[in-house]
Amino acid sequence: MDIAVQLLVNGIFISSLYALVALGLTLIFGVMGIADFAQGALYMLGAYVAFYVTRLWGLSYFLSLPCAMLAAGAIGVLDHLVVYRPLRRHGGATTFVAALGILLILQNAALWTFGGQFKLLRSPFGDAKLTILGAVVTYHQAFVMLVTAALIGGVWLFLKRTKPGKALRAMSQNPEAAQLVGISGARLATATFAIAGALAGAAGALISPMQAFDPNIGALVILKSFAITIFGGMGSVPGAIGGALVVGLAETAATAYLAAEYADLVAFALMIAIMFVRPQGLFRRAAPA
Amino acid sequence: MTGGVDRDAQPAASGGLRAAARRRGGWVWWWAVAAAGAALPWLFPSIAHRNLLVLAGINAILVTSLDLLIGYAGLLSLGHAGFWGIGAYTSAALVADYGAPFPLALLAAGALAAACGLFIGYPSLRLRSHYFVLVTFITGIVITLLLTSLVGLTRGPMGLPGIPFATLSLPRVFTYTFNTFRSKVGYYYLVLACLLGALALKEWVGRSRMGRALVALREDEDLAAAVGIDTHRYKLLAFGMSTAMAGIAGSLYAHYTTFLSPDGFTFVTSFDLFVMDMVGGAGTAAGPLIGPALLTTLRDLLRSISPVLAEIVFGVFLIVTIAFFPAGLVGAWRALRAGRAWSRP
Repeated sequence: MDIAVQLLVNGIFISSLYALVALGLTLIFGVMGIADFAQGALYMLGAYVAFYVTRLWGLSYFLSLPCAMLAAGAIGVLDHLVVYRPLRRHGGATTFVAALGILLILQNAALWTFGGQFKLLRSPFGDAKLTILGAVVTYHQAFVMLVTAALIGGVWLFLKRTKPGKALRAMSQNPEAAQLVGISGARLATATFAIAGALAGAAGALISPMQAFDPNIGALVILKSFAITIFGGMGSVPGAIGGALVVGLAETAATAYLAAEYADLVAFALMIAIMFVRPQGLFRRAAPA
Repeated sequence: MTGGVDRDAQPAASGGLRAAARRRGGWVWWWAVAAAGAALPWLFPSIAHRNLLVLAGINAILVTSLDLLIGYAGLLSLGHAGFWGIGAYTSAALVADYGAPFPLALLAAGALAAACGLFIGYPSLRLRSHYFVLVTFITGIVITLLLTSLVGLTRGPMGLPGIPFATLSLPRVFTYTFNTFRSKVGYYYLVLACLLGALALKEWVGRSRMGRALVALREDEDLAAAVGIDTHRYKLLAFGMSTAMAGIAGSLYAHYTTFLSPDGFTFVTSFDLFVMDMVGGAGTAAGPLIGPALLTTLRDLLRSISPVLAEIVFGVFLIVTIAFFPAGLVGAWRALRAGRAWSRP
């Protein structure tokens, strides 16, 4: 019982990070039709920004979070303006390769500037933990889950209540019709990249005190998040969150009961199987959001 | 359309005369490559340069096999290094553990890689556009994970050392061992022969019914199917051929370096091969030779500055190529000669 609750808590914690990255991915896919693997690099960047802002500038960790979001969002917009926009007439396959190119460029640029050694931040909460139903939760884990919930809630409100949010949903449902009623695709795309980048950056900054990181952390996270968007149906927001829970919990269970490397294998094999059987995702792609 | 590589449309064969000239021209060009290839090691006597020649040759085989998919069929495969790895490990295991003769291991490497390719290709070639790219991409990652985790077969991340040199022998007549540590020239010619075989196969496919079917389905898959082309069968055939060539290149690589490790066959390598094809010029005859030759050399030069620099430069090359020179260097050269601006879609 205790173990089950503990696994559930750990699973939800991992899921919350995946959900942030997957949410950005799915928004970009919905609006632009791009499988933006470069988001993995923004996640990595978020962790580094948090690290250097707290270590070098001596700012509080809580301040480093918005810094990481700003920086990652800015780089995300830059990716869009410099690479994706000039390539927008190309097919999804070509832009995917370009995205992979950006991921490798940023990853190796980080390797060059920050070096390859692992870094770890100190959590502002120290090692304090609380016990819920026999499961141990560190304050930082709880903080991460709260911030994630707030960010997802914010995106949700933005999509449901604000005009640009509604425009974004319209765009991902039917791009032609959206442009016909006067929605500016270009500005919306920039906004989407900013939001997605900020989410990925936040996820990176949130994980940086939990897990030692190096410039390569983004690649695995983006693959997992990608698996999630496939599970959930690319472009679907509830699908991304549901998919994140499925993958996060399955991964936690698999690491507990199987060897960790087989957990990855199973996830990818499942991902391929789903693409064959249900390319639209497990949850039906109804109207996104 | 599957895949999104945009390129200059192949010049329409206007009239039989021009087509005939082009056809003959293709083979003249092939002989020129053979002659130039044969002369190269004598222009570069240093062992470091000859090492690069061999590696560039192996890369050229890989890129040629990839170009069969990208250039003709418009299929973007990002898992090619995985099939290369399958071939390399197969050949190494057959020769080292079972004492199989090298030529047999070479063919078996191609056969097993092709079998895996067909197994993956059969379902995934029904997928369109980025879904296919993603499946090949994930397939490549799964293969790397398998090479890492099947420690009993591959020795996992520690790597597989001591792979025997390639040996060609005819019982009681002659035996020749390619000791690649002492001399690279013999092995270079072996690689060159395989490369010429790969180029000939690609050329032949391009002129065959299959090549026309692939180009047709690249331009419009639905239309191709509508006029009675069995698109799935032709794509599968191309995928099988391509992965077989990659497997053979793997065997050549294994018995050249005599050491294998899963690190060499990750998605980054697949990506590099893709970049080589795009930079050289996908769908052109010379592109799959120019791209690997140029970028293998460039990578070697950049490595002396910083090992991470090469990947940055490759990434930039790729994006610039897709955006401004969709037909690669060959396409840019053609456009320059035709006296018009850079070929833009």
